[in-house]
Amino acid sequence: MRYKVLTVDDSKTVRIIVRKAFKPYDCEILEAGNGVEGLAVAAKETPDLVLLDVTMPVMDGVEMLTKLKADPALKGIPVIMLTAEGGRDNVLKIAKIGVRDYLVKPFKEEVLIEKCGRVIDLKPIAEAPAKVKSISDPADILIVEDKPAIIQQIQEGLRHTPWRFKGVSTQAEALGQLSLTPPDLILVSLSLAEEAAFSFFRHVRTSVKTKYTPVFALVVKTETAQQQQAQTVGFSAIITKPIDIAELEAKIAKAMNLDTSQRYYATEGEVLVMRLPENCAPAVLAEVAGHLKPKFAEAVDAGFNKVVIDVHQIKTLHMGIIKLLFQAMQTCRELAIQFALVGNPQIVSECKGFEDTRGWTFFDSIDDAKTFVSKNAPQLAAVG
Amino acid sequence: MPATVEITESLIRDYINRAVTDVFKTMLGREPTFSASAGWNGGSPPAINPSNRPQVVGTVGFVGDINGLIYLHLDLAFARICTSHLLGMTEKELEAAGDDVINDAIGELTNMTVGGFKNGLCDAGYPCKLTIPSILRGTNFSIEPVSSAVRHVYLFDCAEHRVVADILMKAED
Repeated sequence: MRYKVLTVDDSKTVRIIVRKAFKPYDCEILEAGNGVEGLAVAAKETPDLVLLDVTMPVMDGVEMLTKLKADPALKGIPVIMLTAEGGRDNVLKIAKIGVRDYLVKPFKEEVLIEKCGRVIDLKPIAEAPAKVKSISDPADILIVEDKPAIIQQIQEGLRHTPWRFKGVSTQAEALGQLSLTPPDLILVSLSLAEEAAFSFFRHVRTSVKTKYTPVFALVVKTETAQQQQAQTVGFSAIITKPIDIAELEAKIAKAMNLDTSQRYYATEGEVLVMRLPENCAPAVLAEVAGHLKPKFAEAVDAGFNKVVIDVHQIKTLHMGIIKLLFQAMQTCRELAIQFALVGNPQIVSECKGFEDTRGWTFFDSIDDAKTFVSKNAPQLAAVG
Repeated sequence: MPATVEITESLIRDYINRAVTDVFKTMLGREPTFSASAGWNGGSPPAINPSNRPQVVGTVGFVGDINGLIYLHLDLAFARICTSHLLGMTEKELEAAGDDVINDAIGELTNMTVGGFKNGLCDAGYPCKLTIPSILRGTNFSIEPVSSAVRHVYLFDCAEHRVVADILMKAED
């Protein structure tokens, strides 16, 4: 929903500043130069919020506010006063007529946005349309954790990513960090003293700049009560300690809506290679599965109907991997794609032990598999 | 609220210093420093700006239990800088927008400054309201108030520029 914000001020300067402040947000800004114009625009457009000056020619802000609140059709529109008229008595008198907030000029644009964000749900608009962020793009991640070892573990475990980590140990430091640069994602430990993680979370959610930032809770696996509390208040994800780094990475990528497909899928020559990593945690498998059909369809669409499924990095099979491989092979058949599997001796041996996987044939190397599918072999390399 | 605080020169200086600093810091990211003050009680008006550079002067009054008027003097070059910053405009865009945009911006800066000043007076027990801003432009001019006015002139330095707050208050106040 696109919100309408009406700014009523005789100063064009203020109206331009308001327009500028709201530019990053999905809002339509309406303008009026005095109370009469303001009432007319309010009646015609029914804005979601009015920003109202006091001292104006023709009709001042106090009169406009009084008339607005007396009109049954308009009285529900929230009003924030934005005026140089301060002074305790003035503010109290105007507040009694019915205003949502009162901002005395001079004002910072961020403060205006914060106050408006408490009245309407301001959503940032994407500056560039339709460019999906990828796993290879940099991102800023804030870790709020009073145990330095955990911060270090996360930083070292995810060193291979382009993500920048900032570790802080207290809520105050974290709030300071938010005011500097809002991060792309926040990890906060529920073990912070005095339930600081929850009050920090509330702050993040009430701030316009961070209300949509994913926030993960870090909590010891056995602390189920805390996990439940975090879920209830709306943390984006729960990461249990000891931390499974691969799972954390996958959850971060998912929360930031990153395109992770290039990690598992690559076009090499005229062959699409689907590559499973050594650690196939459930979150990783879900990621791979999520990209499977679109990637295979993309290959067919581009004229490459050859796929190599490479599982040679996997140390041991489990049901999740087997299900994913079945799904991949089934998709190949549906799309008439020639495919081949690449494995290692351990995987080949484990496959022999299961009824459903006994018939699978593996190549020892990617090159052999590529040669096989490229030769347009009349029969498939593996049978499900 | 009955007036409980006597309006002294030091109170006026304190209020205007706070107001000018607050407005220039919040809206323009600049820190003006109080440079000098000059009282006036008749005779020749003080030299507001010794140079013959073009000036833009914003004026806003306050009326109520206390009445007065404040002129905020900026040289044109600084007025242009302030406007560009306030509106996020380039020099070229400002040129195209014309003088009205500068007038409006300086009028608003004056409105905020006088607002800050008079809100202090309100809280000190002298309720009053702002008037609508107006603008004077010119070179080498002086403002001569009526003889009953009490005048205080305060000079502020803002980088290489000067801002002058010229306060006129009715004598009986």
